Amino acid sequence: MRQYGTVTGRSQRVVRHVLAVVGLAYAWAASAEVTARGLIEGALDLTRGTSSYTELTMTIHRPAWERTLSLTAWTRGREDALIRFTAPPKDAGTATLKKGDQMWTYSPKIRREVRLPSSMMSQQWAGSDFSYNDLSRSDKYLRYYDFEIIQTEERDGHTVYTMDMIPRDDAPVVWGKETLVLRDDYVTLSQTFYDQELEPVKRMETLAVGTLGGRTFALAMRMQSVDKPDSWTEIRYVAADFDATVEDSLFTTFSLRGR
Amino acid sequence: MPVKLLIQLSWRNIWRHRRRNAILVSAIAVAVTGVMLLNTMMRGMQQDLRNTAIENLTGHVKILEPGYLHDPGIERGFDILEGWQNTLPDHVAGWASRIRVPGVIMSERGTRGIQLVGIDPARESISFLGQAEVAGDRLSGPEDSRILIGGLLAEALDTAAGRRLVLVTQGADGRTREAGFRIAGVYRAEIAGLEKAFVFTGLAALQRLLGTDKITEISIRLDDEDRETSTIAALAETFESRAVASWRQLEPQAAAMVEVSDVTIYILFVIVMGALTFGLVNTLVTAVMERLRELGMLRAIGMRPRAVVAQVVVESTVIMAIGVAAGLILAWCVFSFVADGIDLTAFDDSLASFGMRPTFVPVFDIRDVALIAVLSLALSILASFYPARRAVKIKPLEALRR
Repeated sequence: MRQYGTVTGRSQRVVRHVLAVVGLAYAWAASAEVTARGLIEGALDLTRGTSSYTELTMTIHRPAWERTLSLTAWTRGREDALIRFTAPPKDAGTATLKKGDQMWTYSPKIRREVRLPSSMMSQQWAGSDFSYNDLSRSDKYLRYYDFEIIQTEERDGHTVYTMDMIPRDDAPVVWGKETLVLRDDYVTLSQTFYDQELEPVKRMETLAVGTLGGRTFALAMRMQSVDKPDSWTEIRYVAADFDATVEDSLFTTFSLRGR
Repeated sequence: MPVKLLIQLSWRNIWRHRRRNAILVSAIAVAVTGVMLLNTMMRGMQQDLRNTAIENLTGHVKILEPGYLHDPGIERGFDILEGWQNTLPDHVAGWASRIRVPGVIMSERGTRGIQLVGIDPARESISFLGQAEVAGDRLSGPEDSRILIGGLLAEALDTAAGRRLVLVTQGADGRTREAGFRIAGVYRAEIAGLEKAFVFTGLAALQRLLGTDKITEISIRLDDEDRETSTIAALAETFESRAVASWRQLEPQAAAMVEVSDVTIYILFVIVMGALTFGLVNTLVTAVMERLRELGMLRAIGMRPRAVVAQVVVESTVIMAIGVAAGLILAWCVFSFVADGIDLTAFDDSLASFGMRPTFVPVFDIRDVALIAVLSLALSILASFYPARRAVKIKPLEALRR
């Protein structure tokens, strides 16, 4: 019996040793990949948290006109979001709900919520330079892209990573490539969408980084088509509360209508 | 009175006024030529419309799930019965089973609504795709998960062979399916509208995306389109609960246009030949009036009124027959110049909106020749009615006194 015990004890120790070595090697090899993926997950969670409440303004600029809208957004996890316009009166009450893969919009003028057909997902959202896809894509990155950090540099005391995100062949993504510039604290500095000839098509740039609701993130961003320098959309965070308690009932088509 | 003598009398009578009758005969000939040529055009157009409708993924006969036409989608799919092909009649030129569902296609710069069609490329010789020019690769088989898009669609989406597009459609479970597809090739269709409408991929590959093993249609092309009705009957027996539809039901617009042009042919014929009939009546009346004395004399020496009528009828028929024969021969000569087709590329856009090809091939149909001959002879007999009555009414005494 004792002999058995000794043998068992020794083999356990060996196994533990081997496991430790293998695990270490694994962690080492995986660290590069985990960093790219981890950076993106971090960036996604930064402005969302497990749940969030934010107030924003959106400025749509066109050669002939410019208008500013105010909106409020609630998010839960990575998949669910509710966005409601609060000003100007013309747009107030218009809301967009994203739940998993699906999206609905509600317009107070017709007093009806509409489930967005997939055909509309690539169209402009509320007349801005953002498409419905831009609002909903978030989690797509993790599922359909291969990431690679192509450049690392030091800037203003931060490590800045430039990342190539290449959609896989069967990914439901039209872009040939996207590049994301991220700081080591997960703040997005810019994102560029390339066509399949690898010519840039549109670009989102961070105009200001600041602290709001206890987190540091991009407080102002501008989305712009590369070939239309006179047209852009700017988003600015006005207030934010992360990890706020958000009721589950908020993410239903019923709450789209508001009060 | 012997018929031979009657014909001889009429024949000589015609030759008495060569110039007058020659003018009449040539008028008839020109009219017949015109009508016949117009006819070949109409027939050509009909055939073109029919072929276009049939090659437009329709076939002569198509088997569908009832209700598919009103609400197309994979939920209106059906399973293929094992060995159903064995029940097909011999005169089937080919068949193809497909999935055809509405979808949306997206590139970096555009979004379009399209019909997504899953095919077995080897079977598509029965549709326009078999002959279409393809820049890049064709689909290699039903397992090929690349796509084939039309030239106009490629332009609209600003894309090309080798790049990727995103397709969105509804799966068998009712949920949205979206996936990236690489473009194998870009096809060119004679009917430009088709290029914007259809995006092809492998049947098995599409079934996998939609999560199904069903198909939505079987299209059948016949060797002999007159056997359409019997084929439909035979298939309706094999596919009891499915809708077996003729191309006429599936492409009602084209079928209606084919029917309308049938009627148009008759209307044109009646207008042109009707006008000429008055010319014929005029000539015959003149001929009768000129021969008042002669006809009176013949009556006086015992010619029966019936024989006088017969004389006028024969004269009318002979003039018409010569005119029609000359007209048909002339029409054939002109036709043989354009039989290979008329290039209408300059009017491509407007033709395409009618579903017609840019090269127009007229069709000389022997049945129309027979139709024109028979109808003309009938008209000539009709035309001789009034002159014959005038001739019969001649009173021998009065005629001789002149």
